Formats: sequence, structure tokens, C-alpha cells
Amino acid sequence: MKKMWKGAISRMRCMRTMPVLQSYLDGNVDEATARRVAAHLEDCLRCGLEVEVYSEIKSALAEQRDAVDQGALDRLQHFAAHLAAGEDPAAGKNGS
Amino acid sequence: MPAIGEEKRREDAFACYVLPEVAVLARVARSLTHNGADAEDLVQETLLSAFRAIDRFDGAHPRAWLLTIMRNAELKRHRRRRPRLLYEGETVESWSATDPDSACASPEQVVVGREFDAVVAQSLAALPDRHRQVVELVDIDGLSYAEAAEVIGVPVGTVMSRLHRARSRIRHRLTAAGLAPKRSMR
Repeated sequence: MKKMWKGAISRMRCMRTMPVLQSYLDGNVDEATARRVAAHLEDCLRCGLEVEVYSEIKSALAEQRDAVDQGALDRLQHFAAHLAAGEDPAAGKNGS
Repeated sequence: MPAIGEEKRREDAFACYVLPEVAVLARVARSLTHNGADAEDLVQETLLSAFRAIDRFDGAHPRAWLLTIMRNAELKRHRRRRPRLLYEGETVESWSATDPDSACASPEQVVVGREFDAVVAQSLAALPDRHRQVVELVDIDGLSYAEAAEVIGVPVGTVMSRLHRARSRIRHRLTAAGLAPKRSMR
């Protein structure tokens, strides 16, 4: 009986955790929620695995971050620097 | 014509608020246009508009301010030129081909393996445009929910629900490919 209750409580905690798991990973929950989720993750294998999977997905996506061409970035920095130096924007654009 | 002091203030403000954001603008522009040349044009237009409007900027949240300018510039470009057909017509292959670096991630960063990354990339490309866009803005470009909402012009809650649903779809594909455990409960 005691075991059944324990299982039910654990499932309830999982059900409260799952909907906020992604926001938690993004650092987009309030402090109290973050504490509650962190505490649950320490005890729950299922939710722990779930967090791990989403973390891996986020990492895999973040690895595509360097996709901006360095040459283009240099040209844009140069263009912005022209503007910041008070030079004619049109001349900066053509000259980039 | 502005006085010399005013001009200097303007240039200083531009250097202070705008220059540090150029790299972020370049990444976001790429996500919005999916084309290197268009992205560069879009950033240049954004920078020019920002330069012209810097006098009216109060200095709070420069990134959000610039992203709003970029969104408006992008809307204008769409009205002026082609619609979204090209973007929608893109294939997984063409998407990957424009980004050769994404295929060779460093081994230290890949925990589950290359296959995992490949399925994530394919799943991302297969997402509906609106979902893919938020994933690109938040997970690839590193914007916050609020900043992504600014770029797309939707409420933060919409960004959050699209993002979560999109990641969930990616997760399902990983499960189908045997690269992630099945969810034991919802």
C-alpha cells in the first residue's frame, strides 16, 4: 500500500515537471519552480533522462551556430564601423 | 544638418549600442533569409536604419531595438521582392549544403554521436516554417524567448509553445531512429 502511494506521488511529480522541463532547461522559470524541478530530477530517472535528451538536442542545435560566413561578418563589421565613424553610409555600403 | 557635438554623440551611441550586436544580427538575418547575400543586405539595411534612428533610441535593450528594426526591414524586403516560396521550397539537402561546417561537429561536443546530430538537423529542416524559425532563433542564434518574439512579432507565449512543440517533434524523431529513449509517460 505504502509502495503504491509512493509511486502515485512520484508520478504526480513527474506530471508537474514534464510541462516545464524545456523552460527549465532554457532558464525560463521562476526560482521556486527551478528548485522544485531540480529536486525532482535528482530522484527521478525518467525525468532525468528526458532532461538529458533535450539538453543533447539543444547542444546539437547550438553546434550549428557558426554557420555565418566569416567573410560576410567581417564586411558587416566594417560597414558598421564606417557608420560609427560618421562616414557616408552610402559610401560605406558601396565600399564594403 | 546636425551640429558637430550632436553628430559625435550619435556616432558614439551607434558604436556603443550597435557595434557589439553585429554578429547577432548576422546570425538572425541568416535564419530569417536562409540566403547569405540576402542576409548581408538585411543586416546592412538594419544598420543604416539604426544609424538614422539612433537619436531617438533611449539606450535600453539595444538588441531588442535592433531586432525590431530588422523585423521591419525584412517585412519591407518581402513586400518589395519575392515572397516566401523559395524558403518553403528548400530541401534538407540544400539546407545542409549551405552549411558545410554543421556536418563536421567536434567529437568532444557530440555525446550521443554524429548520427544524433544528423537526425536533429534533418528533423529541424522538416519542421513547419514557423516552428523551425523559433528553433533557429533561440537554439541556434541564441536569442531569448523575448528577443525571438520581437523578431517574429508574436507574443512570448507563442514563441514558447512553438519552440517546445518543435523540440518535442525532434525528440520523437530521435526516438523513432532509436537514438533517444521512449518517453514512459506524458
